[in-house]
Amino acid sequence: MRRSMRKFLLLGIAGLLVGALAACAKAQGPHIVVEDAWGRPSPKVATAGAFYMTLRNTGNEDDALIGAESDACGTVELHESFKTPEGAMGMRPVEGGKIVIPAGETVELKMGGLHIMCIDKQVDFTPGTKVQLTLHFEKSGDMPIEVEIRQPK
Amino acid sequence: MRNLSRGLWLGVGAVLLIVLGWWAWDRFRPYAFHGTVLQSAEPAFDFELQSADGPVRLSDFRGKVVLLYFGYTFCPDVCPTTLFEVQRTMELLGDDADQVQLIMISVDPARDTPERLKEYVQYFHPSFIGVTGSEDAIAEVATHYGIYYQKHEGTPATGYLVDHTATITVIDRKGYVKLVFPYGTPAEDMAADLAYLIRH
Repeated sequence: MRRSMRKFLLLGIAGLLVGALAACAKAQGPHIVVEDAWGRPSPKVATAGAFYMTLRNTGNEDDALIGAESDACGTVELHESFKTPEGAMGMRPVEGGKIVIPAGETVELKMGGLHIMCIDKQVDFTPGTKVQLTLHFEKSGDMPIEVEIRQPK
Repeated sequence: MRNLSRGLWLGVGAVLLIVLGWWAWDRFRPYAFHGTVLQSAEPAFDFELQSADGPVRLSDFRGKVVLLYFGYTFCPDVCPTTLFEVQRTMELLGDDADQVQLIMISVDPARDTPERLKEYVQYFHPSFIGVTGSEDAIAEVATHYGIYYQKHEGTPATGYLVDHTATITVIDRKGYVKLVFPYGTPAEDMAADLAYLIRH
């Protein structure tokens, strides 16, 4: 009885060690998780559309979104809406051409702020449409995702 | 025992008083607008601009509450965010929605044709109207409503972009500027203010 318990304990410790090692190996570098990627429905005449999402970096190294591409867009650029010194609303390409996602942090691309701009839309953005988008990260490389066209929540 | 029932009655009385007081306060307090209230000495500037369905004058809508929004169709974030909130506002207003008229005035007359504007605004609500005009005509209207807009360089793909005041100007049924909704005003707040303006 006692011997079998000790055996179990040893096995358990060994298992924990292997698990911890695996976790360590995995946690090296940035690790980007994309959540809730969506785009607003827009009429055909609106030549530009915007995609929004949550970017989480669960790794231990900073990364940055440096661009994206999609067959649904002529050009894709990273933009942000901002309040001008005059109190008006403006839009501009993001500073340095990239959106930094620091290690362990979450960056939200949301209405009235950072967004991925789809210029020269090639398809109708009707609710329910799925748009294939490839995100380019500085370190994590390319990440294909699906963007759902829907009304804001 | 007697003390207990006396306490009970006192308690009931106090609760009744509180309920009555709250009711009276709620019933007779002045309405507090969510938007910024403006007091205009003169009626709002009566412009005439072009829609896909012909000329549109502000005075055409006397008797309705008019919402003026300055924007442009290339704008993918701020303008649709605002127009979608107004769409939700119209839904919240229910039958009162036909007492409200949104007019979007283009701050990008070089690229926004009346037809383009029509398709754009009607995507949000079938009643919405989009108007444009000459650069001078737009500038005159914007100045009268205190709207700032300024073109600035974009990227080769976007072409120029336009910074613009992203507020909604509310004109009451008599044609006076009454309220300003800042960018980001929730539909619930706009609907409450507009419902009040429709009834008073």
